[in-house]
Amino acid sequence: MASIADQGAPTSQAELLYQAQLRKVRIFRMHVGITWVALLLIIVFFFSGQNFLGIKTISLDTDFISRNLSFIAGGLGETIRISILSILLAILLALLAALGRLSTFPPFYALSTFYVSLIRGTPLYLQIFFFFLALPQIIPAWAAVPGLWAGVLALGLNYGAYMSETFRAGIASVSKGQREAAIALGMNPGQTMRRIVIPQALRFAIPPMGNDFISMTKDSALVSATGFVHELMWRATKVGRAQFNNLEALIVAAVFYWGLTLILTYFQNRLEARMSKGDR
Amino acid sequence: MAPIVKVSNLDKYFGRLHVLKNVSLEVQPREVVCIIGRSGSGKSTFLRCINFLEEPSHGTIEVDGLVVAGGEKGKEHRQLIHDLRLRTGMVFQDFNLFPHMSVLENVIEGPVIVKKMDRAKAIELAEKNLNNVDMLWKKDEYPNRLSGGQKQRVAIARALTMEPRVMLFDEPTSALDPELIGEVLNVMKKVAQEGMTMLIVTHEMGFAKEVADRVMVMAEGEIIEQATPEELFENPKDPRTRALIDRYRSGSN
Repeated sequence: MASIADQGAPTSQAELLYQAQLRKVRIFRMHVGITWVALLLIIVFFFSGQNFLGIKTISLDTDFISRNLSFIAGGLGETIRISILSILLAILLALLAALGRLSTFPPFYALSTFYVSLIRGTPLYLQIFFFFLALPQIIPAWAAVPGLWAGVLALGLNYGAYMSETFRAGIASVSKGQREAAIALGMNPGQTMRRIVIPQALRFAIPPMGNDFISMTKDSALVSATGFVHELMWRATKVGRAQFNNLEALIVAAVFYWGLTLILTYFQNRLEARMSKGDR
Repeated sequence: MAPIVKVSNLDKYFGRLHVLKNVSLEVQPREVVCIIGRSGSGKSTFLRCINFLEEPSHGTIEVDGLVVAGGEKGKEHRQLIHDLRLRTGMVFQDFNLFPHMSVLENVIEGPVIVKKMDRAKAIELAEKNLNNVDMLWKKDEYPNRLSGGQKQRVAIARALTMEPRVMLFDEPTSALDPELIGEVLNVMKKVAQEGMTMLIVTHEMGFAKEVADRVMVMAEGEIIEQATPEELFENPKDPRTRALIDRYRSGSN
C-alpha cells in the first residue's frame, strides 16, 4: 500500500500512471503521423506513371511542370498580398460593424446590420464580379483602378461582414463589471472601449481571426475568375488551359495552397496556445 | 461640520419596481458608515447611485460640495457625473481588475488616462498605495495569478490612487473564500484609520461592529434604522434589524 512517505517519489503509482498516459499519447500521435505519410505516398504513387502489380497509374507531364513551376509560383506573392490587404480591411470593417451592432444610436445600428445582411445574403463570387465588372458602370473611373483593389474590396467587405459577428461576441464576452470598473474610475465611453473592452475582446477574437485569414488565402483564388489579378489560381489556369495540362497545373497550385495553409496553421496553433495561457 | 456626502430624497425605479424610496443620508468627513440589510433591500443600488453607476430617478447626490441631480440629461449633466466619479472611489464584490494589465498598470490606468497625470508621478503614487495594501511585491504580476484577497487589495489600491474624497465598498468580501476575508478587512481598517470617509455595504457584522462609526440598516428600499454599532447591535429597535442580527449571531456561533 502506498503510504504518505511514498508520495512524490519518482516511482510512485501516480507517476507511473502519468508516464503510461504520456506514452499512450505519443504512440497515438506517431500512428497518426505514419498514416499521413502513407496516404501521401499513395497519392504520389497514383500520379507517378509507374506500372505496379498491373496497376497503370496516371503519368503527369513533368516537363510541363518544370517549365511552368516558376510562373505559377510567381503568383504566391500576389495571393499573400491580396490576403493580407483584404484581412486588414476586413478587420477594420468588422470592428466598425461590431460597434454599430452594439450601438444605441439607431442609424449606426441600422447601417451595421444592413451591411452585414446585404453581404451575407449574396454570394462572394457575385460580389467579386460586382466590384470588377459592375462597379465601373456606376463609377467609370473605377475601371482604371488596378484589379487588385477590386479584389481587396470584395474580399475585405465579405470577410468583414462575417468577422463582425466574431468581434461582437468578443465585445459581449467582456463582463459588465469591467465596464463598471472603468466608469467608476471616471473613464468616458470612448476610453472604456479603447482601453478596457477592445483589448479584451481582441484577445477573444484573435484565434478565430487567424482561421478567417487562412480561409481567405484560399478564397482569394475566386478573384482569378475575373482575370485581372495574377495570383496562384489565375496563373495555374492560364498555363493549364493554354497547353491542355490542367491536371498538372491545378496540382501544382493545390500544393502551393496546401503548403501555405500548413504554414499558417502552424503559426495559428502557436498563437492559440499562447493566448490560452492567458498571462497577457 | 459640513457633511462630505449628502444624499437627499433619493428614488430609484427599475422599470415598475420601486427599489429606493426617498432615501436621505449625510456622512461626515472621516466617518465610516456600514450599510447592512438582506439581499434585495436596495443597499447595493443605493451605493451605486452615489457615483451614478445607477442613475437615480429622483433626488440629489452631493459629494464634497458638488451637487448632482438624478434624472437629468445633457452634456452638462454628464460632466457633473464625471466630476462626481472623480470624487468617489469604488471597490466591487468581484474586484473587476483589468485582466490584460499588470497590477501596476491596473493602478496607474485611472490617473494616467483619466486625470492625465504624468506617468512617473502616477507610478510613484501607485507604488505608495500598493505598498500600503502590501501588494507592491506583486506589482508586475497579472491579476489571474493572484488570490481573491490579493485582487481585492489591488482593487482598493487602484481606487485610492485616484485620490477620491469618499470610498464606496460594494460587498468587498462577499466573493472571497473565508480564509481570505481577514486580509481585506484589515486593509480596509487601515484605510479607515488613515482618515478616509467610507461607505461600506457588507455582511460582515463583526467588521461593522469594530470599524464603523455608524451602521445603517436597509429594508425594502428604505433606511429603517441607523445608530452607532454598540447601540444597534445591543438594542435594535426595528424587528427586521433584530432578525438580521439574530441570524448573524446564530450563524457565527
